[in-house]
Amino acid sequence: MRRQDSSSTKTRRISLRAGFMALVAASLAYGIAGGLFRAGVSLGEFAAAPWLPQAVLGHAFLMVSSFLGTVIGLERAVALKHPAAFVSPAASGLSGIALLTGYPAYASILAAVAAVAFVGVNIVVVARQRAAHTALLLVAAVAWMLGALLHATSAPTQGVISWWLAFLVLTIAAERMEMTRLMRRRKGASEALVGVLAALAVGSAASSVASTSGLGSVLYGLSLVGLSAWLLLYDIARRTVTTTGLSRYMAICLLLGYGWMAVAGVAWVGTSLGLPWRDAALHGIALGFVFSMIFGHAPVILPALVRLKLIYSWAFYVPLALLHLSLFARLLLPNWLPGAARLGSAANALAIALFALVVLSSILAWRVKYSPATNQHGNALDT
Amino acid sequence: MTTLPAPFEYSGPEEWRQPIEGALRRVIDPEVAMTIVDVGLVYAVSVELGAWHVVMTMTSAACPVTDVILEDVEDELERVAPNGTRVDVELVWEPPWTTDRMSARAKAFMGW
Repeated sequence: MRRQDSSSTKTRRISLRAGFMALVAASLAYGIAGGLFRAGVSLGEFAAAPWLPQAVLGHAFLMVSSFLGTVIGLERAVALKHPAAFVSPAASGLSGIALLTGYPAYASILAAVAAVAFVGVNIVVVARQRAAHTALLLVAAVAWMLGALLHATSAPTQGVISWWLAFLVLTIAAERMEMTRLMRRRKGASEALVGVLAALAVGSAASSVASTSGLGSVLYGLSLVGLSAWLLLYDIARRTVTTTGLSRYMAICLLLGYGWMAVAGVAWVGTSLGLPWRDAALHGIALGFVFSMIFGHAPVILPALVRLKLIYSWAFYVPLALLHLSLFARLLLPNWLPGAARLGSAANALAIALFALVVLSSILAWRVKYSPATNQHGNALDT
Repeated sequence: MTTLPAPFEYSGPEEWRQPIEGALRRVIDPEVAMTIVDVGLVYAVSVELGAWHVVMTMTSAACPVTDVILEDVEDELERVAPNGTRVDVELVWEPPWTTDRMSARAKAFMGW
């Protein structure tokens, strides 16, 4: 079954992988820089960089479409094993470069192309496996597409952001739904989940229309709280948190993420009622929930996406702790501690940088331990 | 005394059954903290002279870790197979995986 690649095919694969990694890393790094500027963190000499205005304006675009859209597109393309499936992550990856080099209109079009292609990829996945979680992955792709099309037509931010975050939430919910199949569910649990997710979609749609935007946001926030409760009840993380090693670490990431999703949901409702909780609404989801998932799953996804194996160790808990403590400071303390928001934002970025460092050193550790010279067996998923 | 159902179909010399099951039980899905045998992903193993064939599935067609798990299966089997044995791992979607395939241990762990 193992494919013996010719050396030219292998070189092409390695350069393609390196190209995608560079696109993903660029969107992430510039997206974070834009976010830091927005939060009032001093960027030193970068403050005059020509790309900064676009990175600041396009922070959400870079993080959702160019960074996560590309990572998720790659994940699905690798699972599908068809070259055409890589069109989506290629377009979304390039959308970040287009934006940063001063072509925001082309960036929007590339992101829309990526999202439409991604819907196509997910239709193929559904055809391959007709199941609730694959159908939900398709719904998530449609959410990205709607957000991308609204963004390309310069629609108001609230609708665009609602669909973009719904894309991430629905994608992760679908992946977790697949895992919850291993747990025994109470009667009506599946129907409850469908109800909550439908509410999220209706909330996004209503948020996109000026006259119903407020009501849509309330529904959106409530559905986030509902989804968080459902996942806390039925996710296998409740069981796997009692194990050890990588499995426990992943479960802790998941459970922390579900906690932040509930906080974000409450903040979403509060914001729509006029309270100054917008940062908690957006970043409770984007950082608390989504980045927790990234921190949790990178040790198993990276070997699959870029063929780089790593050794899991306790060091992964350091950036995870920093991320959550700094989010706590940023989102929940500013009322009492002026400056907590800015300091927390800077520490959020530091946590992500530290995580990248831990990942890189874990990859190096694997190389040292299982270098061809030692001729030992190396399992990527050391627990 | 009740006998536990076999975790997968096996055809081949009896002396290879245990080493093969042992090798497959070393492949762990860290997400669920269980071996692929306990999750019930392995459908069948056939052993013939010089060629081992494994038929298995995944819980999701959208799972990007599929290739990593298939390679781990291949690596673990190659470690116990006699030199020169060809190990083939075939991924199938029919019949689809269901919770009925989980072992008693897996179900107990997941609270069934």
